[in-house]
Amino acid sequence: MKKILTALLALAMLVGVAGLATAQAKKVTVWCWDPNFNGYSMKEAAKVYNAAHPDVTIEVVDFPNSDGVAGKVQAGLQAGGAGLPDIALFQDFQIEQFITSYPGVFADLKAAGVDYSQFASYKVGPMTEGGKVYGIPFDTGSTGLYLRADYLKQAGLNPDSYLKNLTWKDIVALGKIVKAKINKPLIAYDTSGWEFLRMIVQSAGGQFFKPDGSLDLNTPATKAGIQVLKDLNDAGILGMTEGWGNWVSAFNNGDSAGLVSAIWIIGTLKSQPTNAGKWIVLPTPLLNGVAGAQNASNWGGSSWYVFDKSKNKAGAIDFLKSTWASKDPAALGFYNTILKGAGAMGTYLPSRSGSNYVAKDDFFYKSQAVYADFAKWMEKVPALRYTANYTVLGSALTPALSKLFKGELKTPEEVIADAQTGYKQAVSQ
Amino acid sequence: MSQKGNFAKYLNRMGWLFIAPALTLFTVFMLYPIVSSLYLVTRKWKGSTDSFIGLGNFVRMANDSVFWHALGTNFFLMVVQIPIMVVLAMVLAVVLDQGIRRFRGAFRLMIFLPCITSLVAYSVLFRILLQTNGLANNLMIGSGLISQPIAWLNDPFWANMTVIVAMTWRWTGYNMIFFLVGLQSIDREIYEAAEVDGAGKLYQFFRITLPLLVPVILFSVVTSTSGTLQLFDEPNVLTNGGGPANATMTAALYIYRQAFVINTDFGYATAMSYVVVVIAAIFAWVQIRLLGGERK
Repeated sequence: MKKILTALLALAMLVGVAGLATAQAKKVTVWCWDPNFNGYSMKEAAKVYNAAHPDVTIEVVDFPNSDGVAGKVQAGLQAGGAGLPDIALFQDFQIEQFITSYPGVFADLKAAGVDYSQFASYKVGPMTEGGKVYGIPFDTGSTGLYLRADYLKQAGLNPDSYLKNLTWKDIVALGKIVKAKINKPLIAYDTSGWEFLRMIVQSAGGQFFKPDGSLDLNTPATKAGIQVLKDLNDAGILGMTEGWGNWVSAFNNGDSAGLVSAIWIIGTLKSQPTNAGKWIVLPTPLLNGVAGAQNASNWGGSSWYVFDKSKNKAGAIDFLKSTWASKDPAALGFYNTILKGAGAMGTYLPSRSGSNYVAKDDFFYKSQAVYADFAKWMEKVPALRYTANYTVLGSALTPALSKLFKGELKTPEEVIADAQTGYKQAVSQ
Repeated sequence: MSQKGNFAKYLNRMGWLFIAPALTLFTVFMLYPIVSSLYLVTRKWKGSTDSFIGLGNFVRMANDSVFWHALGTNFFLMVVQIPIMVVLAMVLAVVLDQGIRRFRGAFRLMIFLPCITSLVAYSVLFRILLQTNGLANNLMIGSGLISQPIAWLNDPFWANMTVIVAMTWRWTGYNMIFFLVGLQSIDREIYEAAEVDGAGKLYQFFRITLPLLVPVILFSVVTSTSGTLQLFDEPNVLTNGGGPANATMTAALYIYRQAFVINTDFGYATAMSYVVVVIAAIFAWVQIRLLGGERK
């Protein structure tokens, strides 16, 4: 009896293991962090792929935020690759830290035949190391200045006359009028980060690091960018908030008359349906006095990466290639779907012919065709070098900017000196 | 004789057998990490890259003003927050024990409840309450107490006050329980004798209650000190990773950020942990001496 039982158990285990093995070969696991945005987009991609490959299961695992994915990947890498998925999503600014700290961890997708000339070039830079390119670019963070048309009217201004390329000087002037007339700050500002400054500097084609990776803050773009922040703050145009939730409530509740952010904030704006018909989107203001400055920049954005040791590496690469990097009409149609469904604008250049790219959106003032605008601005975004020490720089610049707003630091030069000291101490040589 | 010796051997074996599970877990999860971290201290270990740098991590630490500032924040919070909390806990305990008769259990529960709430959950709640357009500011402006909102989370001084308020809210009830136990162990006859001699309530408190509570006060201070040295959740969640301008950065938070957020520098993080451990050990030694002194 006992022997039979043992034999049965052994058999059951064998069958179980075998079943597991076949299931794994047909399964691709993806880690990402927003079920309404990147998780949704990946599931749409899975639908397209499953139409041709019904035997493959794409499992999308949601994390609370990007740090959640990065933290768990880091723990897995320290454990020799245990428990990692086949594909993970990383913020573009995070990825170089991983590529440098964990050599050889991601699969080279250029070698696997992905044509990177078809992607927006500023997205490909951070994922390139020598002749290897590791990721599949996901969304653009093409930026704009969102303003409340109804507030502009209350301040006696005509919203339509602002729908054109402006400079930061124009915005300071506009902010002063709005502040004086309706006593609202023009722009909601999140003091827990420094992305605003980075966005201004990138719009002017500026860099924070030299090509060899060393820090270089003494550039015309960075100085002018800090000066813009100082001018905005001195004029009382920045509505100070602390952290994401507080920032969102400041513009969704109407405490501020606007914000600077990327295309992906549209979903968050729409979560306040009472604001329908009130928003306009202006091009990113131009940084005065810096050569090469554009009315366009980038904020955020992320990309998909395949782990080189993934059990189903070939399957994962095939999935990404035939959805995110394919001119197949079904794949291009999926890009069109996620643009409307989640405000996720891909960076695969052939995908921009979809109908939703030119569609008008009733949520905006006079049904502005915002996606066409963002797509147009995306082409002009200058590339930014993030390097592995981008997060360290943020940990030094964020406090320095806080001191500027408090008046403890008075000039761009003082802010730069403070940030340089902080950077030297936080970075590991 | 030999029989007895065998039995002792048997007992010895059984003893080892019984503690084997605990010993195994201790070795794998405590002893091994401690020993292997000694090796880490001498390495520059970033991600999967690893090289020997001797005392390099300590040289770097000596020049790292953020680390020393973070330790300073720990001490500042210790010096300011612990006395406030201990005095408050003691006063509440005395009031609950001697001052009021009705609803004592309900009050005790209300004051104790914060310390069983999740650290992250209460930090998030405080964040929402204290943001610039949050409930706290709106109430105070509405009632005319202040005219401009206070930047509870955005100003270095107020951010530290916020952390102090939050910690006091969470831990006062916990310490109050020890004081309640301490009060109950004081013989009521001492108070009766004092009353016969004509001592007032206040006089009784300072001459009887306070001296007899000294061991509890010491215990409370010792546990709070080590808790404050390890402070992590509040500055991480409440003030967004030690902000503003690193004003609420604590040593534990900085170690975590060096290892997991801004760098993947595990060697440096380990080296800093050793310094914090040494400081904690010195504190513990001093305090154990103080506590031991009281017992005699």
